[in-house]
Amino acid sequence: MSIFDSDKAAKTHRHLHSHLPSDPALRVKALESLVVEKGLVAPETLDAWVEAYSDHIGPKRGAEVVARAWVDPGFRDRLLADATDAIADFGYDGHATGHLKAIENTPESHNLVVCTLCSCYPFSLLGMSPAWYKSSAYRARAVREPRAVLAEFGIDLPAETGVKVWDSTAELRYLVVPQRPEGTDGWDEARLASIVTRNSMIGTDRDLKAGA
Amino acid sequence: MDGVHDLGGKEGFGPIDVNSPPFSHEWERRQWAISTNAWLGGNIDRGRHILELLPPGFYLTASYFEKWCLRDLTKMVAGGIATEEEVLAGHAGIAQPAPEARDLDAAIARVRAARTDFSRPIDAAPAFAIGATITTLPHSHAGHTRLPAYARGRTGTVIAHHGAHLYPDDVAENTETTHHLYTVEFTAPALWGDAADPRDTVLLDLWEPYFVRA
Repeated sequence: MSIFDSDKAAKTHRHLHSHLPSDPALRVKALESLVVEKGLVAPETLDAWVEAYSDHIGPKRGAEVVARAWVDPGFRDRLLADATDAIADFGYDGHATGHLKAIENTPESHNLVVCTLCSCYPFSLLGMSPAWYKSSAYRARAVREPRAVLAEFGIDLPAETGVKVWDSTAELRYLVVPQRPEGTDGWDEARLASIVTRNSMIGTDRDLKAGA
Repeated sequence: MDGVHDLGGKEGFGPIDVNSPPFSHEWERRQWAISTNAWLGGNIDRGRHILELLPPGFYLTASYFEKWCLRDLTKMVAGGIATEEEVLAGHAGIAQPAPEARDLDAAIARVRAARTDFSRPIDAAPAFAIGATITTLPHSHAGHTRLPAYARGRTGTVIAHHGAHLYPDDVAENTETTHHLYTVEFTAPALWGDAADPRDTVLLDLWEPYFVRA
């Protein structure tokens, strides 16, 4: 049984940090050379991963799921009961969504997702997270002054609306289901999905616009 | 551990750069791909703990993927996968054959195949029912934990039970234990005092060893 030596790891950090070039691009290049030479990954695999997350895996996936929840009450119920199972209909379950929970906004309740301890995010459903989600400012402030944070994103909450802030401390990941805007009656799923923003699925956008 | 990574509720940060995109440099995409495709030793909780052990000044000032890079290099040393000399040289002492390359379709398939179940069977019945009032422990320990400092010694309500999940405090030390996991809701005034908005709440996913009956 190997007991982890945290003092040693902290010492390694300091030693490497003081001897490596300071340019992060050079550091990542050194890391890539090392992992490729160690036979841990092929460079083409890294190219393919970058392409997958650049062009194929992003917030459009989450938007499709939200649109279906808006038009199909049976799917909405399944999504709220077991979101991982529901998004498997689309093939969007996977990386960091093994325990996904969907939370619905209502007139009385606004949901906001954060990870104060690191940067947990439902990658296979929303793609790579925006840099602000991973920033110290967002992680520090979202739990303490959510209304001030929401105001910076342009959200002015009605007086009757409470904020629920979900801090992703375990392996559960959260998808906010925004409210369907007025003026979208009769729209098909694809058209509805086109107005669902990434931020609305994290909770830093609230009032989606039918005019988009 | 009481590290600078435990940012919830800290003041003096901000404003938030609300338009910042996921990536600003090509090397960031590369770092993301390396971290998610090459196994560098340990497990997800060990990896988080190594990130928490970065020098505090560096943790607070380095960009996100810069932190990931140093974490990964130290992870390789800590896991016995590379020596410090190899890391500083940026080359392996003895080159190994490259594994089979994955193309785009295989990469997309891998994103789906990465789905992981952290729940585990457990004999013990859950000690808390939905609706129970609980108080979190006032102190933590020097290792990895997922009870943030701002939620220590606070009283809240259990609103959901998720069965038993792997317990990160032990998994980070390479010991797999399992405990019941719950979602606990705290009112904003319970966390931040009477000046906080009584309409607001904060919800955390907490393992049974993190709290006691109130």
